[in-house]
Order: sequence, then C-alpha cells, then structure tokens
Amino acid sequence: MKGFLGTQASFATDLNLVIQLAMGIALIAGTFLARAKRYKAHGACQASVLILNLVMIAVVMWPHFTTLVLPRIPARLARTSVAVPTVHGILGAVAEMLGLYIVLAAGTDVLPKAWRFTRWKLWMRIEMALWGIVLGTGFGTYLVWYIGPHR
Amino acid sequence: MCAGLLGAAAWGATSHARYSVSAAAAENGATQVKIDNFSFEPKEITVSAGTQVTWVNADDVPHTVVSNDNKFKSKALDTDDRFSFTFAQPGTYEYFCSVHPKMTARVIVK
Repeated sequence: MKGFLGTQASFATDLNLVIQLAMGIALIAGTFLARAKRYKAHGACQASVLILNLVMIAVVMWPHFTTLVLPRIPARLARTSVAVPTVHGILGAVAEMLGLYIVLAAGTDVLPKAWRFTRWKLWMRIEMALWGIVLGTGFGTYLVWYIGPHR
Repeated sequence: MCAGLLGAAAWGATSHARYSVSAAAAENGATQVKIDNFSFEPKEITVSAGTQVTWVNADDVPHTVVSNDNKFKSKALDTDDRFSFTFAQPGTYEYFCSVHPKMTARVIVK
C-alpha cells in the first residue's frame, strides 16, 4: 500500500514515522508533567509511549530490519543505507529496554529494591537524550531509504 | 566511436520510455530491466512469450519485484542482485517494489 507523505515509502512506514514524531512530542510533554510534579500523569504518558513503541517495533520496524538490513550485515555495513538503520536499531533497542526498566523501577514494585537505581533524574535524562538520538537516526533511515539521494 | 555515441544516445532516449525488445534480445530469449534511482527502467517492455526477463538492482537500497497478481515475486534484491522470470503466457503483467510501492512497471507479453 502506497504511503501518504509523498515519498517512496509504504503506508506502514509513513504511519510509523508520524507516530514516532508524535511519541517524541509526547515524551517532551511528559517531562513538563514531571516538572509540574504531576508524577502519575508523567508516568502514564512515558509508559504509554514505551508500550506503543514496542508495538511499532514488532509490527513495522523489526520485520523491516530482519528482512532488509540484517542480511546485509556485516558485508555492506560501510554503506549509509545499512549503517544508519543499524545504529538506529542498536540504540533503539537500548533506549526501549532502558525505558522499560525505568518504568518498572520507578512506577512499580516488580523489581527488588537492590535492582532499582536512585538517581532518577540522571537516568531519565540519559533516556531522553538517547531517545532523541534514536529519533534522529530513524529519520535519517527514512531519508536514505525512501527519499534519497542514496549514492 | 560514433556508433558508441549513437548507441548511448539511443539508450538515453529509451530508458525512461516504452521499450520493445530488440531482435537481438528476442533471439537469445532474454532481456533486462534495470532498477535505478527508485524506478524500473524501462517502465514498460514488450517481449514475446517464452522470454526470460532479468531485473538487476543498481540502487544502494534493496528492492523487490512483485507482480500484482502474485505470479512472480523476488526476495529483497541487494545492490547488483538479479532476479529472473520467464513469461510463458501472453498478457500484461503489472509489477511493483513491495519496499517502495510507488515503483511500478509492466511487462507486455505477446
């Protein structure tokens, strides 16, 4: 199915890009909720983004990565069309796992006390910075794969 | 040299337009479609029944060759990868790239 952003991308890819940008905005809005000391709303906002992102990974990004990028590693890793999505995939996996850990450690009692960190702000800021880089490399992947020029 | 230049000019003139397989190509039973810069070149070819058509990916990103009616379907073609299909029956075969669905083209078999 053809996309709706006027590029070479499919509908699913365009939808994923729009949702990723919306999630980035939601995460920034979530930080303002924390600053306003609305911690429950902050937690719900950031956790919703993480769960939605898991769905997008499972439905769109992982299938694309395994069929189109993974078979080209390591032979074509020097190419932009492989290097950018590879960096995006690795950092994205780290960001998603760190985010889930933060949600579990800060918002639930699932993890034992010894496994929880105490420097919340530092780790949440690291997570936000990482998410920003992942969003940037994701947009870079979209540019290379669906807009070009790619040589 | 002149022949080479004329040949290059002729290729340039036909690469974005309709294309009928030359007698030489028809005789050896094969012809080629280049995948370049998010497009199939030529976008339309006419071949005789029994001709094998080969697609070659010249792009840096992978592409696929998938017919609208699922009569043929390639795996993801990396740079310089090839995919061939022999058209046994006359008809018009529309196809596209499943990674970039706006890339469409057709093979007319007579």
